[in-house]
Amino acid sequence: MTMFRTRTRGGHDQGPAPEALRLVKVTRTYGTAENAVTALDGVTLSLARSTFTAVMGPSGSGKSTLLQCAAGLERPDSGIVWVDGAELTGGTEAELTRFRRGRVGFVFQQYNLLDTLTVAQNTVLPLKLAGRRVDRRRVTEILTAVGLGDRLGHRPAQLSGGQRQRVAIARALVTEPRVIFADEPTGALDTRSARQVLLLLQEAVRVHGRTVVMVTHDPVAASYADSVVFLADGRPVGRMDAPTPDAVAERLAHLGDDVTAGV
Amino acid sequence: MLVLALRSIRQRPGRFLATLLSAFLGAAIIMTFNSMHDTAAGDGVDAVSSETLGTAAGVVGGYGTLLVFFAVASTLTVNVRQRAAELELLRCSGATPAQIKRMVVGEAVAVALAGAALAVGPAMLGGRALLEMFQDSGQVARSVDYAFGPIALLSGVDITLVAAAGAAFLAVRRVTRGRGERAGAKRFLAYAALVAGAAGAGSTFLSSATDEALMAAPAYGAILLSVGLALLSPGLLRGVLGRLPQAGPSVWLAVRNLRERAAHLAGILVALILFTAVSTATLTMQAVESDAVKASGLVKSVDAKNLETLNLTVVGIIAVFVCLMLVNSLYAATTYRSREFGQQRLAGATPGQVLRVVAAEGVILTLTGVVLGTVAALAGVVPFTVVRTDAVLPDQFAGVWLAMVSVTAAVTLGTSLATARRVLRTPAVGAVALAA
Repeated sequence: MTMFRTRTRGGHDQGPAPEALRLVKVTRTYGTAENAVTALDGVTLSLARSTFTAVMGPSGSGKSTLLQCAAGLERPDSGIVWVDGAELTGGTEAELTRFRRGRVGFVFQQYNLLDTLTVAQNTVLPLKLAGRRVDRRRVTEILTAVGLGDRLGHRPAQLSGGQRQRVAIARALVTEPRVIFADEPTGALDTRSARQVLLLLQEAVRVHGRTVVMVTHDPVAASYADSVVFLADGRPVGRMDAPTPDAVAERLAHLGDDVTAGV
Repeated sequence: MLVLALRSIRQRPGRFLATLLSAFLGAAIIMTFNSMHDTAAGDGVDAVSSETLGTAAGVVGGYGTLLVFFAVASTLTVNVRQRAAELELLRCSGATPAQIKRMVVGEAVAVALAGAALAVGPAMLGGRALLEMFQDSGQVARSVDYAFGPIALLSGVDITLVAAAGAAFLAVRRVTRGRGERAGAKRFLAYAALVAGAAGAGSTFLSSATDEALMAAPAYGAILLSVGLALLSPGLLRGVLGRLPQAGPSVWLAVRNLRERAAHLAGILVALILFTAVSTATLTMQAVESDAVKASGLVKSVDAKNLETLNLTVVGIIAVFVCLMLVNSLYAATTYRSREFGQQRLAGATPGQVLRVVAAEGVILTLTGVVLGTVAALAGVVPFTVVRTDAVLPDQFAGVWLAMVSVTAAVTLGTSLATARRVLRTPAVGAVALAA
């Protein structure tokens, strides 16, 4: 295996890795020995740069755990994770945080914006925390691009759900990460706002060359992605390129048929 | 509703610990000092002993009542604010505001009753020790026997129950009514307290150095000034925040958090300001007075000794209650922020950075409280010292001030940081999901 490996943190400018994300035999188990639940069962997966991938599967299939392990929010029990060619190492939360900065961005279903900060302040927060220079013009540019150029001084509480999610996307984009992880980003939105959010994620891939990994249970949301990875019982059980809502829904309905039910 | 109240206490005894503790401490102090009334009423107690005992009971008993009220009110306000979701759920299930009020007041009374019952034993021991102390210093005759009677018991239980019920009523009314603070009335009170305090402190100059009650005017002046400043403190805090240099992301975030939460932090600031002002002023003046008496070669009268004992006792009691209130409010406020800390971490903050934000907030709060408290304390100490000794700032001030500031800083920062550390043990993703 010729893998571009580097253990130096913050060294992602040494040239882009061919794969934005690579997981090898990643396993994650919750609970104690007797009633352990295997959320991820030796998942091996690789995603090319500048792609938009949706991860789908029934509840409890391990979608969210996969995202959290891949994003460095959680440590897998075994297996290796590479983000943008750098292996995810380091045991403490501080080390993981430093690894994530500049490499990954997040968009969550519950937005996770800080109520005490304005739209503009929320957007620059990751830069401030990483000790990076804040370019006001660039921030305004990004917020204008997500359609919030006139809301810089508003608080999250004064925005609609769709607007909040667009702030979250701006915040994820501002550090120019290689990979953006989105966990049910449209789960709490109406269809019109959801569409705007999905188009923004698509644009991040097509125009800015980011890689987006999105967990969702909505076939319509998944159809905005380039490909869909299906997950069941903690294992990838299929992949679909150029997905349509109908094809995805059809495949989801028959996911159980493909796998032997785990005991 | 009373059944529901009792059940809710039984399910979550931990939440009522702070209320129970303040009711217990309050009842213990009230009973301890009021048992002096019982003792004084005994057979064959001479006039001087009786007066000493009566003064001690009256002064500290009065202070105690106020403190119990504030402490129970503070812990209950925190408790009710934490349970906003539960109370909302009750309202959605068909509970009228009056029923919710009855439930919260019922809980408070039950907890206060338990606290008062627990306090009887310690109060008897404390009262006996107090009497011995008075006898050792010659303020009370040896022949006086200790008695713990109806005055101690009734006053302790009654005051604690009434204070708890009143405090609960106010706390729950604030929640069920929503935000409707009368800012105008508050500001008027604040300015009234400031004017009265300044007048009190200034009137010290009218007295002569040997006046018996010389300490009273500056002491009450300092207390009133600190109350006024405490009422104005959220606005003053915002003023301080606007002028801070904001180096680094932690201070940047801390300033923004504090600005948003200034109104909620009022309780903590009030405690910091009152404690700094009252303890520093009282202890410094007492030290100046004692040294002045010693220098003049006179022996202290029984009255002077009584005053000294009372001063030290009152400061001690205030210190204990303020620490209790600070620890409880800060613990609750910091635990409540688990979700916010999780969001900061997901936005790229290391646990160390989150702790630094909490530390920066604590330092800014403590500094604001200590500076305002010191201003009030100086307003009392300086006139007293000028009249009593011809100096302006007594030598004792620095030492006392440093000790008091260390206590406040240690309690404020210690509680916030220890709680934040514990809260940070929950993984960020879990912390965010908990409240969602």
